[in-house]
Amino acid sequence: MSTFAIHGRCIATPPPPDWRDQLAQRLGARPRRIGAWAELGLYGALRCMADAGETVLQQDAQIWLGSRRGTHAATAAVLEQLRDDLPMPLAFLQTQPSQLLALLAAQLEWKGHACFVAGGDPQGLLHLAAAQGSDGGILLGWVDDMDGGSTNWLRLRPSAAAAGNLVPLASDKVFSQGHSLLHIDAMGLRGCPAGQANLGESGAG
Amino acid sequence: MTPVHIAGRGLACSLGLGVEQALASLSQGALNTTQVTLPGAMAGDYPYHAIPFNRSDWNECARELVQRVAAEAGAQQIRDGALLIATSSFDIGAVERGATQMDYQAFADKVAAWLDWSGPVHLVNTACTSSLNALLTAQALLRSGAATDVLVLGIELDNRLTLCGFAALQLLSRTTSKPFGAQRDGLVLGEAVAALWLSTRETGRWRLLGGANVVDGMQPTGAAATAVSEMCRQALSDSGLAAGSIDLIKVQAAGSPGNDEAEAQGLRAAFDIVPPLVSLKAAMGHAMGASGAAEIALLTACLEQDAWPRYSYESDPELGVTLAAAPPKNVNRMMATILGFGGSHATVVVERV
Repeated sequence: MSTFAIHGRCIATPPPPDWRDQLAQRLGARPRRIGAWAELGLYGALRCMADAGETVLQQDAQIWLGSRRGTHAATAAVLEQLRDDLPMPLAFLQTQPSQLLALLAAQLEWKGHACFVAGGDPQGLLHLAAAQGSDGGILLGWVDDMDGGSTNWLRLRPSAAAAGNLVPLASDKVFSQGHSLLHIDAMGLRGCPAGQANLGESGAG
Repeated sequence: MTPVHIAGRGLACSLGLGVEQALASLSQGALNTTQVTLPGAMAGDYPYHAIPFNRSDWNECARELVQRVAAEAGAQQIRDGALLIATSSFDIGAVERGATQMDYQAFADKVAAWLDWSGPVHLVNTACTSSLNALLTAQALLRSGAATDVLVLGIELDNRLTLCGFAALQLLSRTTSKPFGAQRDGLVLGEAVAALWLSTRETGRWRLLGGANVVDGMQPTGAAATAVSEMCRQALSDSGLAAGSIDLIKVQAAGSPGNDEAEAQGLRAAFDIVPPLVSLKAAMGHAMGASGAAEIALLTACLEQDAWPRYSYESDPELGVTLAAAPPKNVNRMMATILGFGGSHATVVVERV
């Protein structure tokens, strides 16, 4: 599938100063024993799902997550610990990006296919997700903790809309405001400006 | 559905350099481990399946192994195809030695340069299930027509972070890995570089029928029996097969007390009659993100040449499953499973052509 309607989004580059408080409010308590990168990812994903009007992820949806540097800070901390001793178990687990996938699965009451793609760019991530995606759509995210942090997410659902009216988008515009549809193919990335949704489809956010 | 063939394979692991050398070592019952001493008062010596290769420089060693394995798989014919690098440790070994900085894209660019690769490159990291998930992504790219050739390259090379992390989680054995064994007490980790060339253009002796990956958040560091059975059910559905069509299952069964039990329970729930089972962990160690590709490369060769791993320990009767002592006859379809951190349960179904 190549064309997706955007049903929810969180574009937080950077996140608001009180993002940790917002996350605690959504979860009912501050998350414990997860690293800062995972916390940032969880905040953005839940905000996106709320924007989509969902609290539970559809069982045949997939989660695709990308990052430029992932858990680099947690990894650097563990490498320091290794100079003298074994790492703390939780510290080691926080170096594994796949832990965020498990956190999301638990929080969204979902079991299914989730994948972390390291490096590259959001367009590349969407290209892989689109090839493998299913009828339940995709929860697509890009999370980095550098430069104030960014946690950008889209809740995408397959769309039958024609791609002919879509305009080319730069590869870094996957996570941007102002589009209600995304289309990806061998020619690249295209989008439909919000308010100009194709017949029968509309995007949220 | 467009057939996706395994058109080539390459391997470097503790059993040797190249599929044939690994196969010969396996047939001889070789157990090639070294001892690694980990830091701290609680640490000590752990067995490790190291690739028998010159270690003068981490990056140079990695380059030579990647080039050798990719060449064995025939990668030079498909440099404009897609490259999916599957790894959980990237080049952390080089970072630890001060030879490079941590940078995902720089690592991908480095590997692509080693292979003179001109096609798109992606890095898949889902911990231990990385290369199986890369295979599933490769199949999707091929079936969608986005590519005609994809190289899945699993890379897990020595580094202290992974070994120390597993030790800190008390997941490692101090002696040997005993998959489904009565006295199993943990994993033995290892290195591997493995390549599988998937193609809709070229044929091979095996083809990929389908598979599934089920992430279960209830057990972020281990396996869940319900997720194992769901994984099997989804893989069979994706492959268009009934449970009775599977002739062999390559299990994860790395010798973990808890995970081996969960996997056995899940298999008994998914299959009325559990097919013959095989584990390669005792022979080559658990090579994290590269393990899926490495074990498929070795096992397909085993089945072609009637070679088989040896299990010199007692099975755990409580599990209700045992590993096959000899290669089953007429294996046409097998399921290859890896279970990993992050609650990931992944399997692919491979069919002999």
